[in-house]
Amino acid sequence: MAGRLLPLELVDRCIGSRIWVIMKGDKEVVGTLRGFDEYVNMVLDDVTEYTVTAAGREKNQLDQILLNGNNVCIMVPGGDPEASSSSSSSSS
Amino acid sequence: MSSECREPLDLIRLSIDERVLVKCKGDRELRGKLHAFDQHLNMVLGDVEETVTIQDVDEETQEEIIRASKRNIEMLFVRGDIIILVSPPLRTT
Amino acid sequence: MSEQATETKKTTTTTTTGKAKYQPSDFLKAVLGRPVIVKLNSGVSYRGILACLDGYMNIAMEQTEEYDDGQLKAKYGDCFIRGNNVHYISTIKRR
Repeated sequence: MAGRLLPLELVDRCIGSRIWVIMKGDKEVVGTLRGFDEYVNMVLDDVTEYTVTAAGREKNQLDQILLNGNNVCIMVPGGDPEASSSSSSSSS
Repeated sequence: MSSECREPLDLIRLSIDERVLVKCKGDRELRGKLHAFDQHLNMVLGDVEETVTIQDVDEETQEEIIRASKRNIEMLFVRGDIIILVSPPLRTT
Repeated sequence: MSEQATETKKTTTTTTTGKAKYQPSDFLKAVLGRPVIVKLNSGVSYRGILACLDGYMNIAMEQTEEYDDGQLKAKYGDCFIRGNNVHYISTIKRR
């Protein structure tokens, strides 16, 4: 086990840095991770909330939130959906 | 309210025997007298008015049509997991 | 989701990096009695004073305004929101 990083240890290492959270459904959230609990409910600062619609990405800016961990699907440390969407379109 | 509300379910407890508004999944609203509830928020409501809102698009004009159909039910059981919101009547005291 | 959030558990998620943590329970303590926005998974949001909440993220709010698509749809004196519908609880920026 030594040297192997447990999933929640990875999340723990993200505290203080930007994190990209992809929810079940059409929602994504990017913010600075302040803390989390055993359900991976997360406190995030300087948040941008994205809602994917047919028309494109809807953006919403928030100060500080407690994100419900129930519908969290994927978490990307340091991730930024705008950067990755532009790179994927250029590579294809 | 804060003084008498130590946990959210206290708000429901205080509404027993009062008329409440229950917003449910599927654009359904129930207004009725709260007879009983449990920890899952399963409820028994009496003298209920159910409102179901249906959104349609007119095929010719592409206009949105919002229709509300109502019906009255003497007594019903609501399963807690479809409930989104419960609002007690406005208290004046 | 069962017991969580509102309880301060020191046993969980020990910091490997030693960075200061601001856990969900700390956030909840800080926002109790303050104006918040509660957004539901459906996209509807509620603006009001956070009166109290429990481990299921069930929420009791006061002076609540319901917004759908940025438009005010309804007002409730008190309201109870079932926790399973909650997407997030947000602080409101002071202007």
